[in-house]
Amino acid sequence: MTTPNRSVNNGLALGTRLKNLFSISPIVVVLASILLVLIMPAVIFLFQSSLHETQFDGSFGAFTFQYYVDLLTSDQFLTNLINATIYAVGSAAVAISIGVLLAWIVERTNTPGGGWVLIISIISLGIPSVLYTISFLMLLGKVGPANEILMWITGADAPLLDVYSLWGMIIIEGIEFAPLSYLLLSSVFRSNDASFEEASMMSGAGILQTFRNITLRLAQPAILALLILIFIRAFESFETPALVGLPGNVSVITTDIYESIDEVPANYGQAGAFSVVLLFIVGGLLVWYNRLSRNAERFQTITGKGFRPRVMDLGKWRWLTTAILAFLFMIIIGFPIGIVLWVSMVPYYDGVSLEALKLFTFDNYRTVFNSRSFHDSIGNTVIMGAAAASIVAPFTALCAWLTVRRYKGAWILDQLATSPLIFPAIVMGVAFLQVFLNLPFGLYGTLLSIILASMVRYLPYGMRYSYAGILQIHTELEEASSMSGARQTTTFLRIVMPLVAPAMVTCWLFVFLVSVKAVSIPILLAGPKSQVVAITLFDMWENGITNELAAMGATWTGFMTIISLIFYMLAKRYGLSVR
Amino acid sequence: MKRTLIAKTGLFVGGLALLAAASIPATVSAQSILTYKGKDREAKLIAGAKKEGALTIYSALTVNQALRPLADGFQKKYPFIKVDFWRGSSRKIAQKVLAERRADSLVADVLEGSGLSQIMIKAKSVVPFSTPYANNIAKQYRDENNLWVASRFSYFGTAYNQKVIPAGTQPKTYADLLNPKWKGKIAWRIGSETGALLFISNVRMAMGEKAATAYFAKLSEQGLINFKGSARTLVNRVVEGEYPLAIQIFAHHPVISAKKGAKIGVQMMQPVPSVNGTIMVPKGVKNAHAAMLFIDYYLSKAGQNVLKKARYFPVVTGINPRKELTSITPRLANLKENYVKPETLFKLRKTSQNIFKKYFKHGKTVVVKRKKKKKKTKQ
Repeated sequence: MTTPNRSVNNGLALGTRLKNLFSISPIVVVLASILLVLIMPAVIFLFQSSLHETQFDGSFGAFTFQYYVDLLTSDQFLTNLINATIYAVGSAAVAISIGVLLAWIVERTNTPGGGWVLIISIISLGIPSVLYTISFLMLLGKVGPANEILMWITGADAPLLDVYSLWGMIIIEGIEFAPLSYLLLSSVFRSNDASFEEASMMSGAGILQTFRNITLRLAQPAILALLILIFIRAFESFETPALVGLPGNVSVITTDIYESIDEVPANYGQAGAFSVVLLFIVGGLLVWYNRLSRNAERFQTITGKGFRPRVMDLGKWRWLTTAILAFLFMIIIGFPIGIVLWVSMVPYYDGVSLEALKLFTFDNYRTVFNSRSFHDSIGNTVIMGAAAASIVAPFTALCAWLTVRRYKGAWILDQLATSPLIFPAIVMGVAFLQVFLNLPFGLYGTLLSIILASMVRYLPYGMRYSYAGILQIHTELEEASSMSGARQTTTFLRIVMPLVAPAMVTCWLFVFLVSVKAVSIPILLAGPKSQVVAITLFDMWENGITNELAAMGATWTGFMTIISLIFYMLAKRYGLSVR
Repeated sequence: MKRTLIAKTGLFVGGLALLAAASIPATVSAQSILTYKGKDREAKLIAGAKKEGALTIYSALTVNQALRPLADGFQKKYPFIKVDFWRGSSRKIAQKVLAERRADSLVADVLEGSGLSQIMIKAKSVVPFSTPYANNIAKQYRDENNLWVASRFSYFGTAYNQKVIPAGTQPKTYADLLNPKWKGKIAWRIGSETGALLFISNVRMAMGEKAATAYFAKLSEQGLINFKGSARTLVNRVVEGEYPLAIQIFAHHPVISAKKGAKIGVQMMQPVPSVNGTIMVPKGVKNAHAAMLFIDYYLSKAGQNVLKKARYFPVVTGINPRKELTSITPRLANLKENYVKPETLFKLRKTSQNIFKKYFKHGKTVVVKRKKKKKKTKQ
């Protein structure tokens, strides 16, 4: 009896589904196709390359599982996995410790000078990671000031620190992530209800006890989510492992990927297998992170009742927190920038000393400004960043608008545009390398190839900004527009675009800033004529041209800091998040 | 709607294909000019290079020491050619050129490096060329199929920081390197054809496989530091005191640094491994005329003197290296030399790589060693 009924129902459902499918707005279909064309070949080629033998000329050979078998049966892979885990956990611990300390001092106490911490965030967004890492190598290296001071204190006659090691990687990466950790934690600390802390103090607990039992406890879910976030980002990071780990014989998965491609002939298959494994690990971690950050909302501390954040009076302890603040400021920004400036002013670097002061010269800056390769790489970088940002900003604005206004099928756009998030940058580089190597368009080594890959890489970031911007706009204005007879396109161009413009500008600046900083993608894709600043700095370090590197890095950082400052002012003005 | 979409996609793809087809240059005449031997060769080259107007060199020469002066000298002679160069290790050059060829977007016009030729030949990615200047080079330093000619000689030695290791107390032989006092102090280059790999190949050739294997097992106990970066950078690190000792570095690099006042010395260990750099033309070269003009210049007296002035070792007979290099030039200093031909270098490469992987790849990572010990106790 029930069978025919069910089949009728099924038929109906199928009909509606088909109808729904056909009624998907054409613009959604077009955008989704563009996204698919951009993303799918990379994914397909990545998997293909890991499942086929790599021939001498780089082409695909016979089908094989060998690369996966090699990988899973090798001791080294396990070692590198352990290395990567220790490195990522350590970096997260360092970053969060500094972040908690900074956020607490700035947000919850009456320590003066909290405004200065903003400078940390601005400069840290402008400085290329390569240069930042290198600055620490110079600070902590055998002839660096850190070792000099330690030798002076302990009276040892040989350097005590060996920065080319796992701990070196952890410290450097941890400090690099400290500004992010501070930014995310400061909002949590700011919104904590002060009455808990007051109650604790009233009951006789000291400052430290209150901090431990109340402030930290309240921030616990946020700290845990941040821990995983930094863990993932360190786990998939490339710059620090390559510059610090490789010379010290500490390899992690990302450097293994790079080294497989650096072999002759390039072992694309091995790189592919490593990449796929890393992709799954990071994907799994991201799922976990999303779950945790969703749960984090359950620990909301801002409630309807009399909420008023208040700072704690530290009394005589203020001098101590001021000193800590100043010290952290120096570690995160002062010393790294200082050493880069120093090295850029001396003819050769063998430590910081008074004698070297006599040698001070602007020669390095002169060489750098006069060299054509410097001009080319700055030009390329600006074009690359601007192009990627100029495509990502309007494109994601359109996708976000369609999604927010619930156009039929627009959820696909949201899913597709945020999917690159699971690709670690180096994996994205490998995937696009395969695309450009295997497609007969002669794109390999061109600036366009880097632009395309960067664009896909930063789509999710663009989505986040555009989404937030569009959510702020009420539909009334658009309804008024269509009531007056405007078509969809006109409404989008004349009503929506001007309204989201500030969000788009901020989005543009953010994508520009992060794409010009990145190393992982251009290091695999750039050719001699498409060098970008981050890669030039990387090569200069490998080729031992340290002083010119410092001059170039200092100039570039100055320029990027200005752009970063504009970004901050805009983001603040329009109430958008800065990360 | 769908149909127009398909049509548009079709048009787009078709357009891209057309673009790609148009970008394939006419290389028909390239091969003939590369091997052209007529009397009007130079005139033809200059006329052709004027039309091309550009040249890109990939070389492993250190930029500020040799590559930039050479490019500048060439640029001065032929101002109508826009010269670009890119410095990479032989390995990086090979990897880049192979990728460029695979993606059909070749950029390089001339290739130069030690340990580069055989990889390119195996990948069938270089073409024969001929230049009258090759006649000034001894026959053993030229390829019989005209795929490469020697571009420079390199001799390898051990650099030591004289602040840490006073002159006279440095290790002097390969056996000295096994002395426990050097444990954790010796660095060598990985990721290069002439670094750790050539060291291993040289020791194998000098001692024979059996003795060499025993030597490597002992050497691995010394905890060698695997340095990734150029040879020049490694010597800089020795100057800076980052590493006290660096084996298998280009012997002239410390000499150049010492001349500038750095406290660094070089010790030649016998037999001294030596190789020759090779200069080549990639298959599918876009600026063939300019490429040949550059090779001519490089091997001419002018070019070789630029190398000499930069304290490198010229290959042309009759031009000796500078005086301060005499003590590190085996044939002039009466040192036993082991000249490793490009073919031999390449032949031993794979097996030496295996030896490297077995004994040295992760010398310092403790976890692996522990694991191995565990396995032994299980057995």
